[in-house]
Order: sequence, then structure tokens, then C-alpha cells
Amino acid sequence: MQRVEVRKGYTLNLSGAPTTDLDVLPRPRRVAMLPETLPFIKPRLSIREAQPVALGGGLFHDKRHPQVRFLSPGGGIVERIEYGPRRVIRRIVIRLDDTETADTFEAFAEGRLRQIEPRRLVAAICRGGLWPLLRALPFRDYPDPQSEPTTIIVALADDEPFQPDPAVYLAGRRDLLDYGLQVLARLTPQVRVVAPEGNPALLRDLGTRITHTVSGSYPAQDPAVWVYHTRRSAADNRAWFIRGQDLLLIAGLLRDGRYPTERIVAVGGPAAGRRRHVATRLGVPLELLAGGALDASVRCIVGGVLRGFTGPADGYLGFFETALNLLPAGDRREFLAFVRPGYRHPSFSRTFLSAFNRRRLSMDCRLHGELRPCVACNACVQVCPVEILPQLTFKSLLAEDFEEALAHGLLDCAECGLCSYVCPAKIEICDHLTRAKRRYHQEQSAA
Amino acid sequence: MKRLLQRFFDGRRPHFTPGGRLARLHPFFDAMETVFFAPAHTTRIGPHVRDSLDVKRFMTLVIVCLLPHLFFGIYNVGYQSLTATGRPPQFLAACLVGLGAVVPMVIVTYVVGFFWEVLFAAVRRHTISEGLFVSCMLFPLTLPPTTPLWQVALGISFGIVIGKEVFGGTGRNFLNPALTGRAFLFFAYPVQMSGDAVWTYMGGRAAVDGFSGATPLALAAAVESPATIQAVLHEAHYDFWTLFLGRYAGSIGATSTLLCLLGAVALILMGIASYRTIIGGILGILATAALLNLFAGPGASPWLELNPLYHLVMGGAAFGLAYMATDPVSSPDMEAARWIYGFLIGVLTVLIRVFNPAFPEGIMLAILFMNVFAPLLDHFVIQARLKRRMIRT
Repeated sequence: MQRVEVRKGYTLNLSGAPTTDLDVLPRPRRVAMLPETLPFIKPRLSIREAQPVALGGGLFHDKRHPQVRFLSPGGGIVERIEYGPRRVIRRIVIRLDDTETADTFEAFAEGRLRQIEPRRLVAAICRGGLWPLLRALPFRDYPDPQSEPTTIIVALADDEPFQPDPAVYLAGRRDLLDYGLQVLARLTPQVRVVAPEGNPALLRDLGTRITHTVSGSYPAQDPAVWVYHTRRSAADNRAWFIRGQDLLLIAGLLRDGRYPTERIVAVGGPAAGRRRHVATRLGVPLELLAGGALDASVRCIVGGVLRGFTGPADGYLGFFETALNLLPAGDRREFLAFVRPGYRHPSFSRTFLSAFNRRRLSMDCRLHGELRPCVACNACVQVCPVEILPQLTFKSLLAEDFEEALAHGLLDCAECGLCSYVCPAKIEICDHLTRAKRRYHQEQSAA
Repeated sequence: MKRLLQRFFDGRRPHFTPGGRLARLHPFFDAMETVFFAPAHTTRIGPHVRDSLDVKRFMTLVIVCLLPHLFFGIYNVGYQSLTATGRPPQFLAACLVGLGAVVPMVIVTYVVGFFWEVLFAAVRRHTISEGLFVSCMLFPLTLPPTTPLWQVALGISFGIVIGKEVFGGTGRNFLNPALTGRAFLFFAYPVQMSGDAVWTYMGGRAAVDGFSGATPLALAAAVESPATIQAVLHEAHYDFWTLFLGRYAGSIGATSTLLCLLGAVALILMGIASYRTIIGGILGILATAALLNLFAGPGASPWLELNPLYHLVMGGAAFGLAYMATDPVSSPDMEAARWIYGFLIGVLTVLIRVFNPAFPEGIMLAILFMNVFAPLLDHFVIQARLKRRMIRT
């Protein structure tokens, strides 16, 4: 087991962490798939409204790679297909029926796994609609199924606030994890299982399955950060990664021959009523997760508070997301905010008395200021986990000097959002960087 | 109070929003309103939460650290005025005289500076950046207390317009605006900016017999070998601790090294000023002065044998290092470059003091000079860093 220490980064002092209690949620009446939230894909629908669909039946495929399919997270009727601006497919809502017929897939017995060609496994994962759970650095798009990985990283924990605790989602499913690791071992000899050093129970439990432990503040557990600190060659920059819970889905698909929908979701945040883990399924309504109706004073964040997206009150959980965080919307004006001593104002800087406050603090969605030109305070440089100089990189992007941004290490960006979080000038640094990366990837794959 | 203000601003807002009579002056309204009420803007894209710190607080804390300088400056101007005109230097009387001399300068600076900022913000449709308020606080503190008000207005106009606005406003300037204005006055009106007569506010009264008005730096520059600077300063009652505490004639707010030290420590602890620049600057001054000590001897300039610590407590070196050199916009971005930047400011300050008889004080020109070189220092540090990064990948 190797140790990796990440020195930079910052752990938000945010209250509302979910407990490790696991509640089983009732079966929802509807589930949904949100094509809009899947980066890069160009969906082509294979169903129409009011058409019956089985659990694991095809909903759409990606025009870039027709063999990569996305399947229905439930059996019933396609109730509604909603479009957004420019005909982007916002969501496909499926009303579940009582019986829920399910499609079956090829199953591979554990003992037989070693004799199976990697190409057959890849084809089975694609057919089973779970190929996009594997992602390739640096762009975090799913990898081309024709290509071969050098390294696959299994990220067991996600230290963004707040994501499921690996100990909770792995409880009682260690055999599934082992099966998943064997599948990955068929794809590449270099499988790296990365776990946080600060979780001794998990380390003891998983023992030699873990190849690397990582210590450090958020986002130390992110695969991009791990690669930045351990890479030996340029090929390492294109490592694939998968999150622990997603690996369990792939393992379930191949072992049992059915489309797996089990999800353990963390429900947290200062505005959440019951902070806990819940056992539910892919694509459930947010109201079900939150345990009640949601009003406008609360923002529902699907995913973590730094990288997640805002869900409408009647929204659904996305394909990749495993968390629902609720924050006060914070639509109010604070009186004389800039001279308050600020014992309860969380800040990376030491300009508030909260620097002496050890307790976890509530946060809301306010910007806490207005957009200003960069004043070169260097806070973003101090937090960037992959040591790009965010303030210079975003300036070179605004000046359309893409080469310079690349030289600064734009492609190493873990898209963690810390630079935007700390910026006192409220510049959307992370958004500038992320969008430039995406554009670069799209231009590259178009060429 | 809070509700009253809220109602006041809500009542005035329609005039300043598009369609209102004063729509062009929206930056002015916005600047006034956000002093009292932080705007309620919420995040539109991730990350959904943001740090509580904003530029307004960042800059306000610098102003807070400068306030002791202003208060001490007011007292000190009054004290020097009373002693020079032969009146008993009581505390309250000194404060009153000082208020009369200093407050008009501060008000003129703020009114004129704010006027230019609002004008440029209205034309550009930008918001007003809080860096202005720091520049307007710094500028009068660096002036002699006798500066005519029209020169104060002219100086801050030059500093804000040429030092900052023509390059695009706060964040895009490469020179420190307050120092740019100060340097403009220094070269345009040397009579009012240098010499022995300008550093003590007389208020229309005659000086007592034997009053010279020379600052420690001016005294030091005039010392002839074989006398030593320290001896001459002692004779004029400028011993080390007087210079350290700052009760002597000089720029309004820059004389007290003690307050500079406290302010610098506060800014460093809060993470606003770069300790690299400040410590680099102190090391630069001490190292250069100590090096020059080696060349001291009979016949050489008396400056060469001055105790290096005196360079720190005389004139505006400490004030410049604590508040001017640390301006993050005009200093280098890279932390390694900030060490070099600070160090060279220290070196240049001592060299100008010792070898250039035309300029008794060197810190102003040293900082402006290094402001110009900051991008070059950044360039070298960034190139070295990028080369390391290439090797890693």
C-alpha cells in the first residue's frame, strides 16, 4: 500500500454532514433519466412518449459511439420527454408500473471471468448501459470503448461535501466489489484502488485490495489529483477512473445479468431535515430523497455543494449523482457585512473571527460580494490541488492565449471548484477553466 | 436605523435604474448602497457556496490598519506645529491644530478621487472598485502637512486617472496609484514637496528662533565628514526611539515606524499583505546598509557608516514597505518573485538615499521602479515553474 500526500486543497467547514445511518426509501412512482446532465454526449432517442419500456430497455444512445447506450432505470411507460433550450433533452420521465418487467443480459460467473476476452466484457458493459460510468482523464468524458486503458483508478471515497461514505455503500457488498475489481483487472493489469488515509475502519476492512491511500484536504480523493501527484509518464494523464459505487453497478450487471439500479445516496447540507444515507434507486425524485416537499427558500443541489447542479424542486437524481445537498437559498441582504467581526462567517482567509471558530458553520448560496477585477490576492494559488496558477490561467484564457493556459497545466485541472470558492473578487475561475477544457476536448474529437 | 436606511435606498433606486433620470450614475448608487447592505446575489453556477470574504472587506481592512496612522498623524502635525510656533504642545490643542491641517486634505482627496472613479465607472458601466478608498487613504498620509489643497486635488487626480483608470481601473494598473500621484507632485512642485519648510504646519504663525524644520533625512543628507549622522541626529533630538515612535516632522502619516510595524503584522496575520514583500524589503535595506558600512572610513560619505537600523526608522521606508510595496495589484503575482521584489525595493531605497543627493528619500521611487519591473520578475519565475512542470509530466 503506497501513501500519497496532497498538501494543497481546502476542506470546507460546512455543517450538515449526513450520519452513517442507512434508511431504505419506499419505491418511487416515477424515475427519470437526465441526458442534459451527462457531459459531452449527443443523445439519439430510441423511444417515444407514451411507449412502454422495460427496466433496462434502451432510452437513447450516444451519436458519437452508437454502441454506448443509456437504459431505462425503471419499467413502465415513458410519461414525458422534456426539452430545454435548443432542443436539448432535459429529462425522460418514466412512470413505473407495478410489475416492472426487466430485460436480461448476459451473466458471467465469477470463476469463469478469467477466461473471458476483455473485448467481450467491454461489449457487455456497453450493452448493459453502464459504460459511461467509466471515465477518462483529463476531460472526464467516458472513454472510447475501442481504446485500451493503461491504468484504471477506483476512487472509493469522494471528499466533496457531502457524498456517501464508502463504509456505508460497501457494507455487505464486498463480494460485489471483488467481482468488480476482477472485471477491471481483465481490462488492464494496472488497477489502482485509492482510499482515504483518514478512514482506518475502511482500510482494515478492505485490506490488500487498496493499493494507495491518500491524505489531504478536499479534493485529495479526486483521481485527477492522485494522477497529478503520482504520474510517471504522459500516458498516466489519460488514466481511466471509476467511483466505487459505480463499480458495484457494473459488477452487478455482469454477475447477475440484470440492469442494476441500487443507489446509496447521501442526503445532507445545513437545510436538510434528516441528514442520512438512504438506499434507493437510480433516477428517483428529489422530493422522495428530501423526505418532503421542497420550497424556494432551499436550494437542492444534486451532487456535492461544489460540483453539483441545481435541481428544480420537482427534479430527479442524475445518472452519475449520489448525493442530495440542501442549502438555504440565502436571498437576503446583509447589513454592514464588510465590517462584521464574523465569528460565524466561514472563510478560507483569516479576515474573519471565524478563523478561531472550530465549529462547523452553515453556509448559504450567496456570492457574499460582487464581481470585481482580480486583485491578485493569490488565494486561488494557495488552494489549487494540482498547482496550476488559476489566476494567470483564467487571464490567459480571457486573452485567448490557449497555449499559455495549457502550459500552466489547464488539463491537470480537477474541476474541484475551490478557486471559484475562495475568490474574493467573485470571479468564476473554475467555470472559465472547465469550459475551456470542454471546448478543447470537443474540438479535438471533432478533428 | 437599518430599516430607515433600507427605505431610503429603496426609495432612491428607481432614479438610478435603467429608465431613471440618473441611470448613468448607477455605479455611484451601487457603491453607496453596498456600503450598508451587501447585495443578495446568489450563485448561478457551481460552486454553490462561496467564501465570505469579498474585495470590499479585503480593502476595508487595509483602511482600518491605516486609521491609527491618520490619528497619530493628526496629533503629530499639531504637536510639531505647536512646538515650532512656541506654544505648549498639549494633547488636545495638538489634536485640534492637526485636525485643521489634515482633515481638509483627506476630504479633498476622497471627493476628487471618488469623482474620477464614478466618472470612469459611469462611462464604462462598471462597478466602483474599493481599491480607490485605500488609495485615497494612503495618498494624503504621504504628503507634507503644508501641501496646498489644489495640489492635493491635482495629485490624486493624476494618481487615479493616469496611475489607474487609463489602464482599465483597479486590478489592471501596474503602478501604485497613490504613489504615482505623490511622485507627480514631487516632480511637478518640488518647492511644496521638499526642502525644510514644508514638513511643519505653521497655520500662519511665525516660527520660534532657532527652528529649522529639517527632517531627519534632510539633516542626514547635509552631514559633512568627519561628523557622523547619528551624532548630528542626536544633537537635533532625533534619537533612535524618537524616530521609531514617530513624533518628528515629516509626511503626515508615515513617520511612526511602530504603527507601521503593528499594521504590517496585522495585515500579515490576516493574510492581506504579503510577508514576503515586507521581510524581503527589510532584509534588502539592512543588507545594503550593512554592506555600505564596510566601505565607510575617513573622507567617505557619512551615509556609509550609518547604523542599518536607522534606515528603517527614518523617513517613509517602513510606511512604504508595509502599505505601498504590498499592494497586490502592482506587485508581482508569484510568491518567489515577491521576495526579490521586496528585497530590491530595500536595496534601491538605501542606494537612492546614500548616493543621490537630489532625493533625500528613496522609498517612493524604489517602489515605483520595482512596480515597473514586477511583470519581468513574474515572467522569470513563471518560466522556471513551467519548465519544472514540463519535466514532471
